[in-house]
Amino acid sequence: MQLPEIEEIFTGSVNRVKLGATRDSGGTRDSTVTVGGAHNAVYGGSAEQMGEKPLIAMDVLDYNPKDWPEHLAEHYKNVFKNSSDWAKKCVNEFGADIICLKFEGIHPDKADKDTSEAVKVTEDVLKAVGVPLVLWGCGNDEKDNQVMPKVSEATKSENCLIGTVKEDNYKALTAVALADNHNLITEAPLDINIGKQVNILVSDMGFPLERIITFQDTGALGYGMEYSYSIQERQRLAALGGDKMMSMPVICDVGYESWRAKEAKLADAPGWGDVKDRGPIWEAATAICLLQAGTDIIRMRHPRAVATVKNFINQIWQ
Amino acid sequence: MDDNKNKECTVQFEPRGLKVTVPSGTTLLEAAHRAGIYISSICGGDGYCGKCKVIINEGQSQSRPSPLLTPEEIRENIVLACQTKVLSDLKVTVPKSHSLETSQVLMDANAHILSKLAGQTQVELFEYDPLVRKLCVEMSPPTVLDHTADHERLYAAIRKHVDAPKMQTGFRVLQKLSDVLREANYKAAVTIGQRGGTTEVIQVEPGRRCKTNYAVAVDLGTTTIVAHLIDLTTAKTIDTEATYNSQMNFGEDYIRRIIYAEQTDAFDQLQERLVHDVNDLITTMAVRQRIDLQDITGVICAGNTAMIHFLLNLDPTRIRREPYVASAGFVPPIRAAEVGIQINKRGLLYSLPSVAAYIGGDIVAGVLTTRVYTKEKLSIFVDIGTNGEIVLGNKDWLICASSSAGPAFEGSGIKCGMRAGAGAIESLTIVNGGKIKFKTIGNSHPIGICGSGLLDTLSELFVNGIIDRTGRLKATGDPRLTDGDEGMQFQLVEPQNGHQEITITQADIDNLIRSKAGVFAAIRILMNSTQTNLEDIDAIYIAGGFGNFLNVHRAVTIGMLPDVPRGKLQFVGNTSIAGAKTSLCSQKALETAERIAESMTYLDLMGNPDYMDEFIKAKFLPHTDLSLFPSAGNLKPQA
Repeated sequence: MQLPEIEEIFTGSVNRVKLGATRDSGGTRDSTVTVGGAHNAVYGGSAEQMGEKPLIAMDVLDYNPKDWPEHLAEHYKNVFKNSSDWAKKCVNEFGADIICLKFEGIHPDKADKDTSEAVKVTEDVLKAVGVPLVLWGCGNDEKDNQVMPKVSEATKSENCLIGTVKEDNYKALTAVALADNHNLITEAPLDINIGKQVNILVSDMGFPLERIITFQDTGALGYGMEYSYSIQERQRLAALGGDKMMSMPVICDVGYESWRAKEAKLADAPGWGDVKDRGPIWEAATAICLLQAGTDIIRMRHPRAVATVKNFINQIWQ
Repeated sequence: MDDNKNKECTVQFEPRGLKVTVPSGTTLLEAAHRAGIYISSICGGDGYCGKCKVIINEGQSQSRPSPLLTPEEIRENIVLACQTKVLSDLKVTVPKSHSLETSQVLMDANAHILSKLAGQTQVELFEYDPLVRKLCVEMSPPTVLDHTADHERLYAAIRKHVDAPKMQTGFRVLQKLSDVLREANYKAAVTIGQRGGTTEVIQVEPGRRCKTNYAVAVDLGTTTIVAHLIDLTTAKTIDTEATYNSQMNFGEDYIRRIIYAEQTDAFDQLQERLVHDVNDLITTMAVRQRIDLQDITGVICAGNTAMIHFLLNLDPTRIRREPYVASAGFVPPIRAAEVGIQINKRGLLYSLPSVAAYIGGDIVAGVLTTRVYTKEKLSIFVDIGTNGEIVLGNKDWLICASSSAGPAFEGSGIKCGMRAGAGAIESLTIVNGGKIKFKTIGNSHPIGICGSGLLDTLSELFVNGIIDRTGRLKATGDPRLTDGDEGMQFQLVEPQNGHQEITITQADIDNLIRSKAGVFAAIRILMNSTQTNLEDIDAIYIAGGFGNFLNVHRAVTIGMLPDVPRGKLQFVGNTSIAGAKTSLCSQKALETAERIAESMTYLDLMGNPDYMDEFIKAKFLPHTDLSLFPSAGNLKPQA
């Protein structure tokens, strides 16, 4: 007996979001990227239904982080002091598709840098690399509301991805992203319902849904990854089911989260294998798992982990 | 020092002037309890609700400092009664806001609107056959040829009137029977009562007393107790009365009261309070109607499971502990005097059966009254009280759940919230230009907001873009939006003529949204678990202590009730008392209530993995899934 061909057809799909603007469209980027567009679950359906290839955004910080684990920091030692060199290194040597400029240095508990310093770093990085940028605040609402609007203004018409906006702090950044023509990251604390609520709140302010990318919070392998996994999976299924408020591509912060795990950095653990390998493996394993739940952009840090994940992506999304 | 310890102090409570003597060191709240003065206290004396504010006029006291008092209040000698110890003779003023006398309670003021659902009409659905009734029986006196004993002679006479296959007579009645019958010349007024399948001869009197027989139906609420006096010879309600549940001093919700009773072994005290309240109501009505308490031969109670436990002094402690079990769901009729209810000393006390620890006889009464159990199509019954109980079903099945919605819609735990009494804002609209129009109960100056007013407020703030979908007050530059003691607040009524302003705070709004989310989540869980679609719902009945009326459509606007055509929504008022009355007037109705209680499936939301998910989804205005509220499509709040 011949088995009938059964194909699962979904009515909805993940939005396609273009990041970056070239000179033709008023920006200064050498190239643009597009994420999203999946019409099926990861591994499901035909090649066309898989949508755009997931991309890697490598983290560049606006200050010299003193707390990076040794085997991660060693790759950046000579560029830590200069964010634009750091960004160049990520693009030219490690093959970053996108640079995620993370303004950790503006946090009052970190370097407490002011707005002008943040704008300066932004302009430098913008000049140094031609890939699209993600501009990510420090997480302190007050400081972000003060600094990020200026950062947004400094990158006007570059079609960046800027964030994050949360349930209890979304108005300021949504308004500037709208004004400066950026794309927006909506953040929720591992709660799919709140994730959707932030999208609704932002769209109530007139922000187009097609320019939103969601961040559902990331847990690293062994530290709640399954929560991120299931939420992202639910978001993908909601998008495929036609829920317009949940049809956004997804971004994950794998780099920061996996390097917080003690398994990634603890040197004195004889039974665990060489710490030099453990970190990148931890980061790559987390990234690859989350890719299977339907992640579109992954923020990463270690060059070897980046290479491994790129290799995986290239094999699956051909 | 020892002198001080044992010192007795007299505390005088103004403005009523009531005095009480207590040992030095007693808290003011306790002193007020002993004086029989009601002081609002949600936390039951733990010092964190800040409701029990009183003013010390004279004398020495010692207060624990509390962040719930403002510097001005401290200067004005305002203290928290539960955190203040009596050290000498004191004069204390209890602010008017505590006073129960000034507020009237929702009884059956909406009876005319609800006449189709109210007790009297209901009786027609059931055969009139009250639980206790008086019969005029006439017997032929014994002769040489007919030497049947008096007792059997009486039974034979009763059986000519009613179908009573199984009968019994109280020993005391029997002892006096022969004399009474002869005295009455074999024309007797016999009171019979139904106890399960047995008909009991409660009382035998001379025949002239046939025409007087009364009973009382009681809605035993956590917050309010309502009683109706019924003339059983005509099945008419001749008087109604209501009071606040005076257990309230021990905590505003029953879980707190159970904890209090456990901690201080005060079960008897809590029982006495409740019985005292019920006796008060009965006596008030009896005096007003010039009725002898001896002529009241039955009482029926509908209440939540905990209240019935308190009334009967059954152990309620397992109600609050996993796996949440009541001591009894079905309570047989007992003699009212056994719990201290002062009616005819052989009169009977009936309790409507409960379904589970969190679904009581009040909900069974609601189902009976709204006739959900008779309908071909599905209906939802929602009772918003301290808990939000939901019933979904039709003539074939019934499923119910209880969500801990909290007492926000009863006006409890809300800064300017109050129960539905004189001066409560019962409806509110924001008109063009942002001006607020409202109506108060009794058309007096507004002193607070009751449930229906709070529902209106939440809905109007949302529709007019003053709050966003999470309920957060938006910084719009509106001068009415200020930073108060408890965070952001929005002024609804300006201070005027010595009356304080009325505001709604961010915390109030969050509270109300949590409440409505609890109710909606429970409805969703019931619908999902029975695969019920919205189109299948033919009617939604909403009952509860909101006030005299309710803008039901606004319950949909805020996403408390599902988005059905507005014609399917009906506010039904106090269905607990209506169901109790119906049961009192018809044995069949009580049997039906018992069948309803037996057949209802209870779904435990606390053990339901989807409840939290649904709750978070519903904690948004109107809901995270906007497709569930298509009619709210045009209601996008102003950005």
